[in-house]
Amino acid sequence: MIAALISLPAALFLIGKFLRPTIAPKRGLLVVEKSAIPVHGALVYRESRVAVIREAGEIYALGLVCTHLGCTVGVTPQELICPCHGSVFDRRGNVVKGPADRPLVRYPFEERGDRVAVLL
Amino acid sequence: MFKEFLKHLFPRLVLKSSLKITYTFCLGGLAFTAFMILGVSGLLLLFYYQPSPEKAFGSILFLESSVWGGRYLRSLHRLTSHVFLVLIFLHTLRVILTGAYRKPRELNWLIGFSLLLVAIFSAYTGYLLPMDQLSLWATQTGMELVAGTFLGNVALGILVPDGVGLPMSLLRFYILHIMLAPLALLLLSFLHFYRIRRDKGVLPYL
Repeated sequence: MIAALISLPAALFLIGKFLRPTIAPKRGLLVVEKSAIPVHGALVYRESRVAVIREAGEIYALGLVCTHLGCTVGVTPQELICPCHGSVFDRRGNVVKGPADRPLVRYPFEERGDRVAVLL
Repeated sequence: MFKEFLKHLFPRLVLKSSLKITYTFCLGGLAFTAFMILGVSGLLLLFYYQPSPEKAFGSILFLESSVWGGRYLRSLHRLTSHVFLVLIFLHTLRVILTGAYRKPRELNWLIGFSLLLVAIFSAYTGYLLPMDQLSLWATQTGMELVAGTFLGNVALGILVPDGVGLPMSLLRFYILHIMLAPLALLLLSFLHFYRIRRDKGVLPYL
């Protein structure tokens, strides 16, 4: 009985350790020519789930992961819409319509001359 | 020996009152029948399904287009899985409404409820396997919901170590769906049936 009380949690702990491998967090660098970003437009990378947007002379990178339940939002000229539950974000990433309640993630980026590098 | 086995597989006698269909509507029995259909059709699907993100959807297209009866089998498996869950829910509802969870059958109620949970988990893991858009995003949203629960991040680390729809996660859902969940369902079912006889509700002469 005592042996079972000790060995069962130990076995569960070891199996839990076995099932959780060490995975290096994915880091990426996206370098884009500034001239490639259309005025009042966006460069959309669906697989990497990021959009580089130029709006009113400002350039920024929005994560396309919906802050509600993690679907990839679609980018339209006016707004960003999530196909799963209909959340709507404006082009700056702020919530226009729920169920999402937080703005989209903005990735940090640096200007490198006539290019921008986005740190994913 | 075979004859002996058949003789003992079914009870010696059955009360007429427990044969009346309105007594239980046989919902549990029908659910287990659905589970057996799922087992057989699933076993056949294993011959064609390939559990890797690149090949999964293609292998299903192949199954549906080039395999005799493949489309029928897959539809059967999918529809039966829906029917299975509906039957288990109705069975649970019947047990609640007739008060069959009460003393002395509390333990069997708990076993039955775990069966319900494992059945839902089994269906959820199976949902990702085709790797089409619907299954991928449904699993993604489901995992976000899990992440919000108590110890959800630990569960997430074990279920989807590399993210929904990536190789390791798909393989894990596959193993859970074809091995661990069915095994748990089978063992719990046998325990469930054993407790019915032990609790002597429908078979008072035992």
